Amino acid sequence: MTKWGMVIDLDKCTGCQACTTACAMENNTLPGENWQDVLFYHEGTYPTAKLTWLPRPCMQCENPSCVTVCPTRATYKDDEAGGIVFVDWNKCIGCKYCMIACPYGVRFYADEQPVVEPDVRDVFPGEGQLWAPPYQNPESDARRGIGIQPKGVVSKCTFCYHKVSQAPEGVADLDEDNPETKEYVPACVRTCPPKARYFGDLDNPDSEVNRLIADKRGVRLKDHTGNRPQVYYLGSGADVPAYDPPSDS
Amino acid sequence: MNNGNILKGPLGTGLLIVSAAAAIAAFGYAMLDLMAVGHRSFNTSSQMPWGQPIATYLYFALASSGLGMIAALPLVFGFKQFYPLAKRSIYLAFIILISGMAVLAMELGHVFRMLWVIPFNLQIQSAMFWMGVFYVADLLFLLWKFQKMEGREWDSRTSRQIGIASFLAVLLASGNLALIFGMMSMRPFWFDGLMPIYFYLTAVASGLAAVVFFTYLAYGFRRAAMPAAMRAMFEGPLPKLFAAVLGGTVLFIAVRAITGLYTNNPEIHLVWRDFLFASPVYQASLWLGIVLPFAIMLMAGLRGNPAVQVLVSMAVFAGLFAERYFFVVGGQVVPLFRGTWEWGLIEYTPSLTEWALTIMGSAMLFALYAAGERFLNLSAMPDDFLAANGSEATA
Repeated sequence: MTKWGMVIDLDKCTGCQACTTACAMENNTLPGENWQDVLFYHEGTYPTAKLTWLPRPCMQCENPSCVTVCPTRATYKDDEAGGIVFVDWNKCIGCKYCMIACPYGVRFYADEQPVVEPDVRDVFPGEGQLWAPPYQNPESDARRGIGIQPKGVVSKCTFCYHKVSQAPEGVADLDEDNPETKEYVPACVRTCPPKARYFGDLDNPDSEVNRLIADKRGVRLKDHTGNRPQVYYLGSGADVPAYDPPSDS
Repeated sequence: MNNGNILKGPLGTGLLIVSAAAAIAAFGYAMLDLMAVGHRSFNTSSQMPWGQPIATYLYFALASSGLGMIAALPLVFGFKQFYPLAKRSIYLAFIILISGMAVLAMELGHVFRMLWVIPFNLQIQSAMFWMGVFYVADLLFLLWKFQKMEGREWDSRTSRQIGIASFLAVLLASGNLALIFGMMSMRPFWFDGLMPIYFYLTAVASGLAAVVFFTYLAYGFRRAAMPAAMRAMFEGPLPKLFAAVLGGTVLFIAVRAITGLYTNNPEIHLVWRDFLFASPVYQASLWLGIVLPFAIMLMAGLRGNPAVQVLVSMAVFAGLFAERYFFVVGGQVVPLFRGTWEWGLIEYTPSLTEWALTIMGSAMLFALYAAGERFLNLSAMPDDFLAANGSEATA
């Protein structure tokens, strides 16, 4: 059975945020409600300070803590869909327990104060939906949390399931450089200028993602939580520095 | 004839009207905001999903559980000197839980959807599913038990069985509520297997504060107006129990604070250092709302004084509300990933709408309480107990 996975090479990532922008455009997320984000940190002090960054999509965990806490089964892991974790917007009651239980902070409740001003919900007011952006993903699927997010529910990255699900059966990798698969590649992977992202089948031993994880010692974020992400990181900087308040650094 | 209970007269009606008006006004304000701009009217965010409304619910739900446990002293464990509190405790437990649930309902994204998706999807792995099951059971048993007391059926076999079932429901509900937080290993400030014990202790402390305050309120803050058995309880066992429970609460907070400050884990250490102890409000609530009341209740000469008891109950009421608030928010203030969106601790101050929900719940509690005092006999006790302890307690 297909198990979709993503590999992000931090030695190639330039932190350009093209992935963040592509994701927001593809999935009609509100500004700042970034299902896919690149987090910037600075470490050390002058003259040895350095700037570093970490791209962060939903990890689509093998053992997702968000799924078991959901009292309504609105959040579920769909093994038939490559192991992607979805939110069924028809079942979500907006209790936000999944947001508490996610160790990666990749769940969003759009019915909140705007992260970025001006509030685009007022600029593009929607009738019967939270807002009405000029472009809307035509392939909405509330049962999988795809489309314009309704009020009062939680949303998250779907690995662009509306694209990935159209891929030919049994394909090992979805590569934006391959004309046969490029249309099915998640938006963040397809748009990545330095090609720092790879997407493929973790259950297929011949996939490029498996080769990279093995050859370049792929690691998973916060592996101690036991969530076992389906997103792997390569290169230096994959260790997330512990929280350090500005006053102490 | 009101037999000393001042709320059976015009004062009770006045309190009922004023509280109901406050509850309706607060509900109206919050509802208008929610209908106009949704949860944009809250100051919560995707990084701080649970704010003051959740803390308010937690406070009310645990106060209700505490009152259920206090009622179990005479009804389950046979400590008959607590009979004068039993019926009022059961009633207060019921209405505080209702008020808490009303606040929670306004916080959720889709409260009516909850009514069918939870029973039809049976996610038994979720502690929140069990919270619904146990608190609904708790509510029903409280109602059933109260109905038995109304029928003066205190010691029948059925009444005793309902009392035991109610007590078990209280233990399961509040213990499970603790696990909603305590099982979250990704939120180290909350992650604690002993969280149910902490919740039980603080639940009883807030329950005692509630029943002491509301009983005094019913009798115009005059102990002399109370029935003899009730007076005896306020002079003897109750303040000692209050002191013991406050002592347990202080001990638990101290242990959590010491381990929290000692650890290197920033998600625990910094919460205690930079959020809790750095806040004058937390400091005031801890020292004036929990530690000082404990010290006062330790003094034999003071703990029996009616004015002291009322002041201590009010201080504990406020102190434990702040404790719940800082507990809920404290588990979320350290960002899961530092960087871009959050460089320091996540900042959160409740919005006016969130305050309106807290006021709504509190006013609702006062209104339902005034109605209970006005139309029901909350000081009722079993006939044989009355015969043995003075018979004037019929108010």
